[in-house]
Amino acid sequence: MSDRRRINGPVGATIPPASEDGASREVAGSRGGRSRPPNAIRKMYLKTGVTPSASGSAYLEIETSGRSGVSGLKLSCTVHGPRSLPRSSPFSPHIILSTHVKYAPFATRQRRGYLRDPSERDLGTHLEAALRGAIIADRWPKSGVDIIVSIIEGDQDRETSKTQGDESWDLMNALSGCITVASAALADAGIDCIDTVAGGVAALVSDKGDGNPSIVIDPIPSEHDRILAACCIAYLPTRDEVTNLWFKGDLPASDAELYTKLVEKGIQASAKANRVLVECLGETVG
Amino acid sequence: MASTQHVLLSPAELAYLHAALSLTPPIRPDGRAPAQFRPLIAETGILPGTNGSARICFADGTEAIVGVKAEVERTRLADGATAGTEWEEGGSARGEGEDDDGGDKAGDSDWVGLTVEIPGYRDDDAGTAFLGAMLSEALLADGAFARRLWINRRFHWKLYLDILLISPPLSYPLPLLSLTTHLALLATRLPLLKSEGDEDPFFDDDWAAARHLYPRGSGSSRTTKESARPPVTLLVMAVGNNIIFDPAKEELAVADVALAVSVAEDTAVATSTAATMDLDDAAVPAARSLRLLSIRTIDPPSRLTPPGVPNAANSAYGATTAQNQPEARTAEAEAVEGVWRAPRGGAKPLVMAALVQKVLEKGGVADEVLDALDAVDLG
Amino acid sequence: MGLKRAVAGRKAAASGGNSSKYEIVTPGEVITDDPQWMRGHGTYVAPATTSIISSVAGTVTRTNKLLSVRPLRARYTPEVGDLVVGRIVEVQAKRWRVDVGSTQLASLPLSAINLPGGILRKRTETDELQIRTFFAEGDLLVAEVQQLFADGGAVLHTRSLKYGKLRNGVFVAVSGMGGGGGVVRSRRQVWTLESANGGGPVDIVLGVNGYVWISKHVETPEGLVDKTSGITNIEESVSATMYSSQNDRIGPETMREIGRIRGVVTALVDNGLRVDEDMVMRGYHEAVEMAMASGEGPEDIYLGGERGEHLAAALTAV
Repeated sequence: MSDRRRINGPVGATIPPASEDGASREVAGSRGGRSRPPNAIRKMYLKTGVTPSASGSAYLEIETSGRSGVSGLKLSCTVHGPRSLPRSSPFSPHIILSTHVKYAPFATRQRRGYLRDPSERDLGTHLEAALRGAIIADRWPKSGVDIIVSIIEGDQDRETSKTQGDESWDLMNALSGCITVASAALADAGIDCIDTVAGGVAALVSDKGDGNPSIVIDPIPSEHDRILAACCIAYLPTRDEVTNLWFKGDLPASDAELYTKLVEKGIQASAKANRVLVECLGETVG
Repeated sequence: MASTQHVLLSPAELAYLHAALSLTPPIRPDGRAPAQFRPLIAETGILPGTNGSARICFADGTEAIVGVKAEVERTRLADGATAGTEWEEGGSARGEGEDDDGGDKAGDSDWVGLTVEIPGYRDDDAGTAFLGAMLSEALLADGAFARRLWINRRFHWKLYLDILLISPPLSYPLPLLSLTTHLALLATRLPLLKSEGDEDPFFDDDWAAARHLYPRGSGSSRTTKESARPPVTLLVMAVGNNIIFDPAKEELAVADVALAVSVAEDTAVATSTAATMDLDDAAVPAARSLRLLSIRTIDPPSRLTPPGVPNAANSAYGATTAQNQPEARTAEAEAVEGVWRAPRGGAKPLVMAALVQKVLEKGGVADEVLDALDAVDLG
Repeated sequence: MGLKRAVAGRKAAASGGNSSKYEIVTPGEVITDDPQWMRGHGTYVAPATTSIISSVAGTVTRTNKLLSVRPLRARYTPEVGDLVVGRIVEVQAKRWRVDVGSTQLASLPLSAINLPGGILRKRTETDELQIRTFFAEGDLLVAEVQQLFADGGAVLHTRSLKYGKLRNGVFVAVSGMGGGGGVVRSRRQVWTLESANGGGPVDIVLGVNGYVWISKHVETPEGLVDKTSGITNIEESVSATMYSSQNDRIGPETMREIGRIRGVVTALVDNGLRVDEDMVMRGYHEAVEMAMASGEGPEDIYLGGERGEHLAAALTAV
């Protein structure tokens, strides 16, 4: 469906002229490997209470990999509620959660429309599953809460070609950020949670240099030659429980060890993000 | 449609179901064994106007139909692929020589269009999008599927998979849709290419000569990296210490955790028999090895179920203590046997690992399902 | 279907007198143009004629001079005095709306239930505020149809000790059956069955609306007399359990037999057989024997697919 409310660009768009630039081409070829140790997540900046008009809000920024032309992940989340449900809706003994994830039109390499596309709806469902496990829903009967996450910058390397299919891996990084920022915003809104939930990503990657695939946490697709499998985990550290698990890739079933390790690393990544989250919430009070 | 569709069950029913499913062995409401699937009727090739089709029908009347249609489409060249969004230099330098074994036969996930239609739900419903994403994710996970649609450097097949549920679902329809899609893809045939090289494609109009998208047996010239059959997605849940497959709606309503696990068969078998060209003994499932493609947590509807009130706190039962307290706080009382409480929090990582292990183990459920699907006559 | 057909035929022969043959009519078909007949459900009279025309596809029944057509398949049509099993879908200020598988939601007024603390207690404002403590959304109850509205809506009541909230068991919906099979109105809709394999007594409630409840039999009076130190009158305490949502302890043997009975009911429905006391009892004994004969022993309660067909075949063969 095209967006009829706004004026879109002409249909027959032409490609802007691009000149071959030897230097940048070389950079693209080498694609600079991972600059962090495999067990480290990128630095992140988290702040709650950024939107005064909402009941709760948070802003999350994850640093870029340091090369020009690569953007980091910038997310903003607002929580509206709990508020009473409209009269027409049926009685609910629990709080009704509705999650919206939206990429800003300029967040990715290819411009996105204003309407949510299936992948954004999909992210919304994942986020809902991750948060529902963390919320104490029966504390708020007959009420609803809206959680809106805007992805302002989508953590994409605009030098990577689209044909590599990297985009699907970007979704996992985006989801883990969404979970962390939404959890902070929920805490800011004063909604009862059993624990803070944070997202973490681990991936099985193979690099050109060595043949053996290795597991890294918080992967940046453009830093690796090939991603074989990845998983995004929402984890409650004090209860040692997983509220959402999303695994994707291609792993031989005979090697269960590999899968278990991947999940373990995902939990590790999530626990690290959680430390930032707890610290940030502590600062708000102090 | 969401897994959290409105399930209206009374707290007493939920408590009973949970108790029955937590026994060892569990007693399922319809008497099935923990790993037993509901009986179903399957057929393929029901729609002559499609490249491949299948239908699966449960005893309760739930029915799914999948039609696969293929169209020839011009491949956008790498230069123009991301036309006009940004200056994209050196685009032509990438995207080739990347795939180690596929040569230049690189596929694109855009070549597959998958839609799920569920009556009673808007097609932009988040749950429907979730189901669609899950099914296409499994199909495209190994990266080899799109490569099957390659015709030449300038053209490819665009494959449309239309998945239709005939009536509003009586249970979470994921396994049904996945099995039907699996059969439809197995039955899918593409016309035989007669032209050569990069010229405009030209096909044999004899349908009998059309080749299967997933060639049966090992007598194909395809690379061994590709899986011999489409993936299947299984729904598995845990209650207490029990692992239960293909849950019905009321079983899912008391689940502690539910996972959708996609697996595909590896073609390791085919490598050894590349020379044997006869089709009869080729597909011996003895050495089947599985590949894990995708796992997703399904938000169990149990979290949205109404809690029961213990007799001790029930003012209608004659309890006087609870009368001055607000109704909402009674749920905070500690657990009483026979009273339902909606689960909180997530699942232990070990429980999740056990679920996945149960699907993948040798002679496990995935093996059994693939064997059963083998038995379906592909017409 | 065959069995049901025979039953319907016999009924027609007994009551109708002049029509001994079993008739299926379709909408628009003229049943009779004899003016002596009165039109009943499922028929209409064309203007300026005396001919009675069918408005549904179904079987013709003649009761005295009343001519009606019973549809082959239909939603449940409530009648006064029917015992129904229903599920609360909505709670309003002074009444509940109950799903009974009919075209309309039935309503259960607060004034039509037994309030705890004495059957004839007056309804107070506190009761109205606490309406959800008696029945909340999702709760299952057994009730009787007290009154009908012109639009087909029913008003229920639970003013008897045998009615009230259901617990300790499982629910099966056998809806949309109408003429072919499913639950039929019969002499007894509620009975207790002494189950095999040490399962103990099991209660079965066949709602006329096609909703079925199978539960562990609970001897209410004694247990409660103990609890209330034996002095309070029994009637009062019994009406209190009516609103409990806490299950009693149920042994695995009982759960297994309840599951087996549920399997029998589903198998009967899947194979288009009628569901009544006789069929359920015979089906259950057959199922117990089938399980004994099979390799797995009494542990095996699965009755889906082919096993259900075997069971149905065994029942219709007699």
